[in-house]
Amino acid sequence: MSESTTYTGFWQESPRPGILGWLLSTDHKRIGIMYLTCIISLFIVGAILGLAIRLELIAPGETIMGAQTYNATFTVHGIIMIFMFLIPSIPAAFGNLLLPIQIGARDVSFPKLNLLSWYCYIVGAILAIIAIFSGGGAPDTGWTFYVPFSTQTTTNVNLAAFAAFMLGFSSILTGINFVTTIHRLRCEGMTWGRLPLFVWTLYATAWIQVLATPMIGITLVLVILERVFGAGLFDAARGGDPILFQHLFWIYSHPAVYIMILPGMGVISEIIPTFARKPLFGYWAMAFSSLGIAFAGSLVWAHHMYASGMSDFAVLIFSFLTFIVAIPSAIKVFNWISTLYKGSIEMAPPMLYALAFIFNFAIGGLGGLALGAAASDIHLHDTYFVVGHFHYVMFGGGGFALFAAMHYWLPKFTGRMYNHKVAVIGWALLFVGFNVTYMTMQAVGVAGMPRRYYDYLPEFTTLNQVATAGSWVMGLGLLIMFVNLWRGMCSGRRVGKNPWGATTLEWEVPSPPPLENFGEEDPVVTKGPYNFKGVVADEY
Amino acid sequence: MNPLTNPTAQAVDEVLIYIFGFSLILLLGITAVTIYFVIRYRRSKNPEPTSDVAHSFWLEAVWTLLPTIIVLTMFWYGWVNYVGLREVPEGALEVKATARMWSWQFEYPDGRRDNKLTVPVGTPVKVTLVSVDVLHSFFAPAFRIKRDMVPGMETYVWFTATEAGTYDIFCTEYCGLGHSDMITTIEALNEEEYAEWSKPAAPSGEPRGLIVINEQGCTGCHSLDGSEGIAPSLFQLAGQTRRIVVNGQTKEITVDEDYLKRAIRDPESEMVEGYDPMMPPYDSATVSDADLQAVIDYLLDKETEPAGPDAKQLLEENGCLGCHSNDGSIIVGPSFKGIGQRQVTVERDGKKVTLQVDAAYLRRALLDPNGEIVEGFAPMMPAADYLPEADIDTLVEHLLQQTGD
Repeated sequence: MSESTTYTGFWQESPRPGILGWLLSTDHKRIGIMYLTCIISLFIVGAILGLAIRLELIAPGETIMGAQTYNATFTVHGIIMIFMFLIPSIPAAFGNLLLPIQIGARDVSFPKLNLLSWYCYIVGAILAIIAIFSGGGAPDTGWTFYVPFSTQTTTNVNLAAFAAFMLGFSSILTGINFVTTIHRLRCEGMTWGRLPLFVWTLYATAWIQVLATPMIGITLVLVILERVFGAGLFDAARGGDPILFQHLFWIYSHPAVYIMILPGMGVISEIIPTFARKPLFGYWAMAFSSLGIAFAGSLVWAHHMYASGMSDFAVLIFSFLTFIVAIPSAIKVFNWISTLYKGSIEMAPPMLYALAFIFNFAIGGLGGLALGAAASDIHLHDTYFVVGHFHYVMFGGGGFALFAAMHYWLPKFTGRMYNHKVAVIGWALLFVGFNVTYMTMQAVGVAGMPRRYYDYLPEFTTLNQVATAGSWVMGLGLLIMFVNLWRGMCSGRRVGKNPWGATTLEWEVPSPPPLENFGEEDPVVTKGPYNFKGVVADEY
Repeated sequence: MNPLTNPTAQAVDEVLIYIFGFSLILLLGITAVTIYFVIRYRRSKNPEPTSDVAHSFWLEAVWTLLPTIIVLTMFWYGWVNYVGLREVPEGALEVKATARMWSWQFEYPDGRRDNKLTVPVGTPVKVTLVSVDVLHSFFAPAFRIKRDMVPGMETYVWFTATEAGTYDIFCTEYCGLGHSDMITTIEALNEEEYAEWSKPAAPSGEPRGLIVINEQGCTGCHSLDGSEGIAPSLFQLAGQTRRIVVNGQTKEITVDEDYLKRAIRDPESEMVEGYDPMMPPYDSATVSDADLQAVIDYLLDKETEPAGPDAKQLLEENGCLGCHSNDGSIIVGPSFKGIGQRQVTVERDGKKVTLQVDAAYLRRALLDPNGEIVEGFAPMMPAADYLPEADIDTLVEHLLQQTGD
């Protein structure tokens, strides 16, 4: 170790002391840490609500809460997990922490805008929490806010929709910042062909954030107008159309799925080469498949609506486009696995999470085929199969990728290592519990149990009990993982620059990185991102 | 999944099995190769990578093209069988399903209504789907059919029951508090049972009010036995006091006929304290005035006169409304609006006569419509002389009450 034992990098170097040094900081790393803290806190709240949902469903009838509370619980669980956890998770937290360093920049293009986007996020999150405890009570519409129910319910939909609107603004600002940063601030020698794949996925994601998020903002404002002023746009009795809302909603919310998963794919594309000590297989295929997913993924929104009453011709078109989007996803999986071929594979905790990601994402993606085909979707739509499916993609994919990123990069940003054995135990519990819970949900959905059901027929009892038991294993795994990471970050063994023997630029600066990342001289890049020749991992 | 023999389930299951089958093979393949690589090339055995190949045009071309072909077959198979779900076979029995928070109503071609869907085995059934409030969705897992029910829009599903039995119908579009209670059944009956069921219902011993309550699905939210539900119970209402909220002010009232009428026709104006305004209004097209009276009499524990013929229903059933509007507009004949106190000029035996509408005139107009033709209209109305005397009386009485307000 070259640093002195008291070195703490950007944790101490700040123009302002104390808490203001954080709340007014424009340092991308500090903003990244603030995002990460909020995101993980809200994830824990969302996860507790999820466990409560599972507990309620352990038996038919009332178990721990009434129907209205249950409906509010799954609504708030969805709003937190999607708008406050998944969408900002990897881009806003790890994107902020890493993007500038990975392209050899000292910060993002618009550091003040970056801080503003964090404030939009916080205001949105606070408004959402106020919405739960004020007015007519917690919203009970589901995170999808479908009309006409959302325009009629007396619960606090207005404030919740406005909160999501604010969170959308945060996302747009981050997207603008990242696109500009990647175009303008690459260091000397950092050509497009030398960008780490994580940067490519952030780039694709940022375009979706900028182009699609305004749609949800407008749509939610229309819901508020409908509720407050009776605008009538979605009211069939006055010539409006409830199905129009679904189109507007999914034009954003389907691409949003790719906001949640693409950066996760980027994380996996960083981790697998490092722990196989081989360049990522098919660099350009990986880069362009990210752009392909972002583009094609923007054209498939109505596959959520085969049963909605829209025309059969629309079903034909959207089903076709949906299958097209499956192809770049398949390419990614094949390329990750080929990277392992004749590598030198170390099963460190980040690698375990990355491999679990591939497995979970494969199940989620393959399940998506049955939902994309018109005939089979008619049976599976709005059943628990869909609930299982999107948890496989969002949590098994996006969530596991975030956990992989935390195990991979937190040592970089705190300069300390967690306990590997405990990490493996946490991972194993999480992985097993996850699959028991959501595979069972898929099964109960195929058997015909609809989603968003407070109560269910006795024939579904056994499978629901298995899923609930799985959720406890998963909860225990999460607890062990978070405690282990927290202890590691506070008091773990110190690590040097490059504990994993990785090759991207962030591993060439001290751990934790200093303010402005690089010393006096800007870095100059002379080779591709995954050249492992001569790179040695620091002992720790 | 149980092997199902009905055509819609088979169409869906073929696609499901095809896609799930391919998916399972792919998943097992991917997982097996990954596990093999991880063990074979573990660092303790393979301390340095033994290959640095980072791309291969042919390999990548193959695993781009192969999945493309596979997914396109899935797309096509899914589409073709979906078309089968949309094309209703000829000769299908038509039933209309109405969804409301949180009950189902099925209306059969003969006008009878029920909260269960009773169908004959072996005959295709087309269910026309409408919703009166928010989105609902008709889902019958055993037939693999599902379609949203959208306010202001008519959608449909079709199925054929190939085996007698009881099959679940779920609402699968989230619709609020009672969403998961919005369950009913398809009763598939074999030939004799269905013939028995479809006989005109013998007059049951049940009071008319109770029949209406069941038909309209009121018990989906309101219990009849005093147990608490989503909405206040309807048990022994006579003389009870209720705290209600009117325009934000709470007041105490005694349940009586007028209150119940308002509570059914316009529920949101006076909500019982502590309950959400979720109940849809029931207008006179849904529950006729006579039926409303029967419901109220039943709830207040009064004897109800056997319901006579219902005027509005008669007007609709006999096609009167095809020519005569209720709202003052002229379709083919004069409107019913205000007819009760109208002066009309008619041509009788070639002479123009102006007269005041009264019971005798209306009776003549129904039984011998072309004897006196209202000025400006053509003599084309068929006589209603096939109606029983009681129905004519009901119609005349109803029309006299049409004062135009």
